[in-house]
Amino acid sequence: MTSVALDSNEVRAEDSRTPVGPRLDKARMSWTSIPLLSPAFILLAVLFIGPVVFSIYLGFTNLQLVGPHSLYYQVTGTENLSRLVHDTTFRQSIVLTLVFVLGSAVIGATVLGFVLALAMQSSLALIRGLVGVIVLVAFMFPPIVVSLCWIAATRPGGIFATLTGSSGGLLLTQPLLVVSAANAWNLAGLAMLLFSAALRNIPGDILESAKMENASAFQRLMKITLPMLRPVFVTTMLLMTLLALANFTVVYIMTNGGPGTSTMIMPVYSYVQGFNYNELGYGALIGNVMVLLAALLSIVYVRVSRSSS
Amino acid sequence: MRSLTSSSATNRKGPGLTPVNDTGAPVGLQPVKQRRLAPGKVLSNALLIVLGFLFLAPLLWLLFSSVDSNAGPSLKWPHFTFSNYAAVANASTFTALENSTILAGIATIVATVPAVLAAYVFSRHHFPVKNGILLTIVVLAGVPINILVIPVFQAFSNYGLLNITATAFFLGVTSLPFEIWIIKTYIDAIPPDMEEAARLERANVMQTILRVIVPMTLPGIVAAAIFGFINAWGNFLVPFVLLSNPNEQPAPVVMYQFFGNAHVAWGSVAAYSVLYALPVLILYIAIARLFRGGFSMAGAIRG
Repeated sequence: MTSVALDSNEVRAEDSRTPVGPRLDKARMSWTSIPLLSPAFILLAVLFIGPVVFSIYLGFTNLQLVGPHSLYYQVTGTENLSRLVHDTTFRQSIVLTLVFVLGSAVIGATVLGFVLALAMQSSLALIRGLVGVIVLVAFMFPPIVVSLCWIAATRPGGIFATLTGSSGGLLLTQPLLVVSAANAWNLAGLAMLLFSAALRNIPGDILESAKMENASAFQRLMKITLPMLRPVFVTTMLLMTLLALANFTVVYIMTNGGPGTSTMIMPVYSYVQGFNYNELGYGALIGNVMVLLAALLSIVYVRVSRSSS
Repeated sequence: MRSLTSSSATNRKGPGLTPVNDTGAPVGLQPVKQRRLAPGKVLSNALLIVLGFLFLAPLLWLLFSSVDSNAGPSLKWPHFTFSNYAAVANASTFTALENSTILAGIATIVATVPAVLAAYVFSRHHFPVKNGILLTIVVLAGVPINILVIPVFQAFSNYGLLNITATAFFLGVTSLPFEIWIIKTYIDAIPPDMEEAARLERANVMQTILRVIVPMTLPGIVAAAIFGFINAWGNFLVPFVLLSNPNEQPAPVVMYQFFGNAHVAWGSVAAYSVLYALPVLILYIAIARLFRGGFSMAGAIRG
């Protein structure tokens, strides 16, 4: 395709009065794009957009996992919606999801990652190296292994249960706090990496000149480091929020949403409605609320990270 | 570290000059030593040690319990034994790890090959509403895939697709948006000169991608592929719902059965976890190596 463009360019150079071939001042569409894009597009359409659209449809049906409505299901209009509005567990799960996301992603992982990255700037190389590796290994662990480590640590006799003086097991007394902490423990490594890179990019001479004007370490942090890191804070917080919203495994394996419904965050509630209570249609609707929420956050994330870079 | 590299002397000199201290010797040769331990440094180190311990404790528990003949939930020095590993080193564990490998392997190929082709187009070609499509792809990357398990389960059971291959395809596609994004940023960084050279030699698009783009962005492609692999390897819910045949279930689904028992065999489940998590750690180290190695691109274009 482009060789044609080159040829026509030569022709035009010879006879500039009668331009031949397509205009070159505007980018043209290359037809080879289509075969190159089609594998990704077909896969995304069938296995990603497809399920999203199908889920919207299922959310308005009475589909069940077993029983007569598993084969012969139909659209029930706004029945699921009105059920959702009156569902006290769903209302509770919105609050729980907000607390979980705020606690584990915004406060937990983001602040922890920042504190780690900041402390590493002025620490001994040996301690920095060791703590860095430990925090990153915690980030690399598959979710089910994170759950196992935290189930053990918060059982009676486990290290965190012992440290907090809990004799009955923290998962029974502080379930939401424990799953949030486990998630923050898992995510903090990524936040630490992002903040370390950002801290390295703060020009040293600015901090140096502040030092020469006798600014205290606290002043330098508040007046220079934090304002300069503001965009990184926003993007990291949003990324952590997205990752925490998507979290199902750690919470489900540690608590199954319980005790009672005290850790029934939305992804877990969607699963429990679908596969434990057989209400696949209603579970899909709860899932749709999540997808909508995540998509909105994702758009905000893209907007913010574009405007800050 | 900062006091070693940038003494106040470097600031007085203009940029671009070799940093020298007051005596004129290069700074790097005479590191300015911190005489006293500043309170801030003591605080930082103490904070890191405390936080480091909180992060380490669960990891240490896993490691110790996996070699402890008397493992329980508490963190203690192990009574050393390999019997936990021997207990889980059986056919069903190997089948599960093999299934995880098949699942993650297929998912990686399904995601990475289309992602390279699509990323090339997004980086180099022009077509209508390109930015809109690109934005859609990024938004898709943020959609929590675990939520899609209900519609996918329903669709797969309608078409009789509740098997390991279809599950792997789905897991692969869930990494596809992010992989396109990573690989595109790598291709964006390549100067177009090399492709123009290939084009002058009448290479077609496929040849250009295979002979020029892929070799030059290999670290990025491998990093994206590893991301896809880890994503599929670590996912619990999707195979948990979609795969009911025990011969097809991957390691995390099999491992979950350990949790159901009233008496958790802590030693065995810890050993199982180590075996299951180890490949992920090795792959992350491989990614880190790739990035530390940097690119060999700079030397490709001269003059």
